[in-house]
Amino acid sequence: MSSFLFEQIVNGIITGSVYALVAAGMTMIFGVLRAINFAHGEYYMLGTFAAWWVMSKLMVDYSLAIVAGVAIVSVIAVLIGRSVMQRLIGQPFQAGVLATLGLSLILQNVVILAFGGGYKVFSGGWLEPIELGDFGMSQQRVILVVVTVAVFAGLEWMVRSTRLGRSIRAVSQNIECCQVNGIDVEQVVRRTFLIGVAIAALSGILTGPINVSIYGGMGESITLKTFAVIVMGGMGNVRGTLIAGCLLGVVESLVAGFIGLQYRDSVGFIVLLLMLMFRPHGLFSSKARF
Amino acid sequence: MKQAILSTTTLDTPRMPATRVAAVNWSACAAGVAALLCAPLFLGDYYLHAMVLAMIFLLPALGLNLILGYTGMLSLAQGVFFGLGAYASALMSIHFGTPFLVNFIVAGLVAGLVALPLGIPALRLRDTSFVMCTLGMVVIAQMVSKNWIDLTRGDMGLSGVARPRLGFGDWVYTVIKAPEYFYLVLALAALAVAAFVALIRSPAGRCMVAIRDNETLAESLGVPTWTYKLLVFMLSAVFAGLGGSLYAHFSTVVSPLVFQAYYSNTILIIVLGGGVGKVPGAIIGSFVFVAVSEALRITPELRMVIYGFVLLGLVFLFPQGLAPLFQRAAERIAGIGKGPRDVR
Repeated sequence: MSSFLFEQIVNGIITGSVYALVAAGMTMIFGVLRAINFAHGEYYMLGTFAAWWVMSKLMVDYSLAIVAGVAIVSVIAVLIGRSVMQRLIGQPFQAGVLATLGLSLILQNVVILAFGGGYKVFSGGWLEPIELGDFGMSQQRVILVVVTVAVFAGLEWMVRSTRLGRSIRAVSQNIECCQVNGIDVEQVVRRTFLIGVAIAALSGILTGPINVSIYGGMGESITLKTFAVIVMGGMGNVRGTLIAGCLLGVVESLVAGFIGLQYRDSVGFIVLLLMLMFRPHGLFSSKARF
Repeated sequence: MKQAILSTTTLDTPRMPATRVAAVNWSACAAGVAALLCAPLFLGDYYLHAMVLAMIFLLPALGLNLILGYTGMLSLAQGVFFGLGAYASALMSIHFGTPFLVNFIVAGLVAGLVALPLGIPALRLRDTSFVMCTLGMVVIAQMVSKNWIDLTRGDMGLSGVARPRLGFGDWVYTVIKAPEYFYLVLALAALAVAAFVALIRSPAGRCMVAIRDNETLAESLGVPTWTYKLLVFMLSAVFAGLGGSLYAHFSTVVSPLVFQAYYSNTILIIVLGGGVGKVPGAIIGSFVFVAVSEALRITPELRMVIYGFVLLGLVFLFPQGLAPLFQRAAERIAGIGKGPRDVR
């Protein structure tokens, strides 16, 4: 029983790190734009589909497909960043909700129209098991966790010590002051968006081999779970999302293991509702952020 | 200026002889009603079905128009109450064999009563948190409808919901043909519109407008803002539940698919596209976005892509929705649109 518990917790951390990766981008975008990105899970889906398409049509290797998938989604992100996201600066919250909701409808259904609505098989990845005593897991899962740690370390470094990171922090605090001081706010928003989307696409491609089946609507549930993660982590708090993502993953996997698989996907929403009602400022900060 | 997507603060000050505009508006209204009444004479069953669907969607759209246009809260939960109404109606019809009108009323009541415990915590939230919270309700509704198999039969759904039977005493009439259903839904939708107009013109309606325009000021003037918000949330659920009941008896099948984002998105597009806080807006919106797209036989996926572009267009190009375009058309017909347009 205890090894079952251990396995559930490890699985939870692995799913949780995916949530954390997707949520990191969303929380950064919220930081600079004050807008919730309702389309964020769609970029996760787009990444998976781009890699799947490259692998099945152009017959390239999985390792190359990772690069190609992130590149394709990044191009889309540059276009959307210019045409939609940077125009949301200074708009009321409804504009952000509706524009990103519109984007999510477009992206999701264009993919379904182009590739069909059915499930696809994502083959590839490194699935050799790694044995740790009597407990084994695939290389892909180990890679996912390593990448998550690396991405969060990189983000932490970027936000602390690069020029872009300092501008991101400045824009999150006060947009008018940044404009007065000559920071190109639109550029900061575009770059933050691009980074967030690229991370979401990367996490989609890395989970493809673990989930195996992919479909056009898969972004929607990720978006909704990500809401729970960013609220738990504290909106705009990148470090908080890592812990919150893993926490949600572990709770989900314990619920799936001990109560029933069908309740797994509802955990996120119950957490979201409870958080919004009792601790809207997140688990880790004492100050209300919104 | 740009942020006008929800600031229906006031109607435009009449630029022109208001009576002439009103005359055009009333004649457009009369023409619309006449066209609707005669529609079954000219349209085939398929197009009548499209019109019926549009009028069914009008009910939850009126509910969203109330909560969004008159208290300024963006709720994505209309689809939840729509589905609840559909399930309540279907269960009543299947298990108790109750007549249609009873189911219709029960569906509205059930939706309104469920909205009470959901609304009390949700309405403490503002802006984006409220939107996320209502989205959470959609997902929980989906889960319950799929997993409470004893009641909802899960993914199989409830089939064999009776066609509406109308009767007094021994005389019972079952509505089966498309034109009959059309007139039944038309009558009920017209009643709902009348109820909506009566509500917003009542003193309560004026309090709601006050809350929308300035909540703090309204509260300082003694308007019980919290009670009104809860009331509006419940009433919008009642409208949605009634629409769900019509839907259940029209399609005769109810499954967890009614909680899909598709329904919530359609309702949202109707209201935003037509123009928030305006009665003609919701009516025009439901015919444009449901009847037309249904009649053109556009696949649901393509329709969602179009809705997506409509949403982007509404945010960046037409923050007031489509209703002002129709208003301008009415002014032009009245012969006042010839001068320079943007003198305000």
